[in-house]
Amino acid sequence: MVLQGILFFIAAAGAIGGAVAVVLLRNPFFSVLALVCHLFALAVLFLLLYAQFIAAAQLIVYAGAVMVLYVFVVSYVGGADEPIDEGGGAPRALAPIFAGALLVVLALALAGSALTLLDTNGAKLPDNGNAYGTPEQIGELLLTKYLLPFEVASFLLTVAAVCAVVLARRRRGLEELTDDSPLLGEGLGKR
Amino acid sequence: MNTLIAVASTVKAPSVEWNTLIPYFVLAGGAIVTLFASLIAGRTAQRGLVPLLAVATLIASGVFFAIGLHDLDANVLSGALRVDDLARVFSLLFIASALVSIVLAWRSPTLQDFGRGEFYSLLITVVLGMALLASAQNLVTVFLALELFSIPLYVLCAADLRREGSLESGIKYLIIGSLGSATLLYGLALTYGATGSTDFAAINVALSSAKIGDDALLLVGVALTFVGLAFKASIAPFHQWTPDVYEGAPTPVTAFMAVATKAATFALILRYTGQAILPIVDHWQPVLAALAVVTIVVGNLGAMGQKSLKRLLGYSGVAQAGYLLVGVVVSSALGARATVFYMLVYLFMNVAPFAVITARERAGAGEGFDGLRGLGREAPALAWSMTISMIALSGLPITAGFIGKLFLIEAAVDGDYAWLAVVIVLGSAMSLVYYLRVVAAMWMGADATASSVASGDAVLAGASPEADSSKHPELVAIAVLAAAGSVVFGVWPGPLLDLARDAAISFLQLVA
Repeated sequence: MVLQGILFFIAAAGAIGGAVAVVLLRNPFFSVLALVCHLFALAVLFLLLYAQFIAAAQLIVYAGAVMVLYVFVVSYVGGADEPIDEGGGAPRALAPIFAGALLVVLALALAGSALTLLDTNGAKLPDNGNAYGTPEQIGELLLTKYLLPFEVASFLLTVAAVCAVVLARRRRGLEELTDDSPLLGEGLGKR
Repeated sequence: MNTLIAVASTVKAPSVEWNTLIPYFVLAGGAIVTLFASLIAGRTAQRGLVPLLAVATLIASGVFFAIGLHDLDANVLSGALRVDDLARVFSLLFIASALVSIVLAWRSPTLQDFGRGEFYSLLITVVLGMALLASAQNLVTVFLALELFSIPLYVLCAADLRREGSLESGIKYLIIGSLGSATLLYGLALTYGATGSTDFAAINVALSSAKIGDDALLLVGVALTFVGLAFKASIAPFHQWTPDVYEGAPTPVTAFMAVATKAATFALILRYTGQAILPIVDHWQPVLAALAVVTIVVGNLGAMGQKSLKRLLGYSGVAQAGYLLVGVVVSSALGARATVFYMLVYLFMNVAPFAVITARERAGAGEGFDGLRGLGREAPALAWSMTISMIALSGLPITAGFIGKLFLIEAAVDGDYAWLAVVIVLGSAMSLVYYLRVVAAMWMGADATASSVASGDAVLAGASPEADSSKHPELVAIAVLAAAGSVVFGVWPGPLLDLARDAAISFLQLVA
């Protein structure tokens, strides 16, 4: 229990520190690294809640795959040389106010529920009767109760891939309109 | 660790109700087939086969939805979906809207760069996502269906790859839409945290039994959910993206978005308020009423100064969302019927303006008010359809728009929200200002064009009177059909009203 407590505070500090660093660091590359720290700390928090599946998914999908993509993009477009642009004017000045308002609202919501759990000892070690959130249970739910969302998710990924390819194709440059071009092509030149 | 490896003794496979699911499978399969058919090179395949496949898919799915009307309501796939009349009526609406969009896009220059197969395939996918959303019964399905229709729509908005405005519109919609989705997801997560379930029915039970109506977690969750949905339905003050995206997106896509996106979101709002959070109606009713007033006022004021027709229709769409919201606020069968009915006639009222915009864009006249000048003389059929649509949108009698508003007002008065009825009437009066301005531009601005026709300028500009209506018979036909529809259903609203009533009863009897 003591070890859990220590681990919790380390992970919590890592999560908050990482999130703050993402916003505050000037160099996009360091921001991405801070985000990795943040996501790693979140995975530890999930593990402390006995949500092994989510912890593993968090590490593999976010800290692993997504972040590698971010690192590639940042180093590809040379983000390190260009610090994030200032400017923006009024929207930029308003942004902290809205963010603060959202923080207050969420804090209110959490104060109502999370604070009541302060005296408890966190999640219980699951046993056979109480297998909530284990990988087995998640797998079973995905193929029974949540079969449709599971299938829709796969279709969604296919469609998103099609979308990405359609948009990426224009990198080769747009070709001249050919025989397949519209009967009404004269409208195009005027745009 | 052995304790963790709890072997599930017997996993029972869920029963799959294939019959009820056929229309969804048709859409999913059709999207894939259309995509692959577009790999066949050649003009015939590209301009004939691919659109034909897309249209056939939509019609087949629509037929299956229509056959299913009045069937026993079915909870499908362990309660992930509920295919009832509400879902079917709205799905038919999405399909009709997509068919209109295909007709508008059929000879559009946009499609060649983007790829015809990809365009139609993504459009069908959007319809599938919307159909799933209209029948969703739990929060997980809701979110996935919402993303399934949003993501292809972001890309469709950017389909006009040669025009910066279209790309900007795509990016803008992507960013605002993602913000809306994220807010919605936050709301859904908090709702799940407060009620302990993702099923609409179970949330309802939890709310009515466990006295957690005042729980801050739940209320914040519901509020964030509404904010996310308001982004999608362009309810003020979350509407800022609407005019920009409408203006930038290719016109066929805008025509589809204007009706179908709004309908899909309102289908979900009706279900969510009517099934899931009905027990805490006292909490959300005043908030939605206030949102409705703000939306009506902001939409109508915003539309007044617009120079671009598409922006004007964007703001007008915001105002219409406000009217539709009134039917949700009263949370009664009358209100749901009025909202569904108004959504149905909204399809008819919205087609002609976008057909006219498409025709004017192809004639090189642009989509501003200037492009409309002299339309009454050049293409009387288009001008008449546009006039009727504008009158219907503003809610004047003998049009479907009038009947639609009448039912909304009836529902508002019946639900003790008579002051909302007054707001609807005032909003409609305000809207006359800009709708009639469009009509005036078409019929009264003929002088300048008449002289240029005489001197032959217009022929050079590709806008000669003969060419105008003969060059795109499909646009004229669909505009005339839609305008005829908005008059016919204004005089004889019976059939649509029956559909709307069945839809309203089908999901409200669950909770009654």
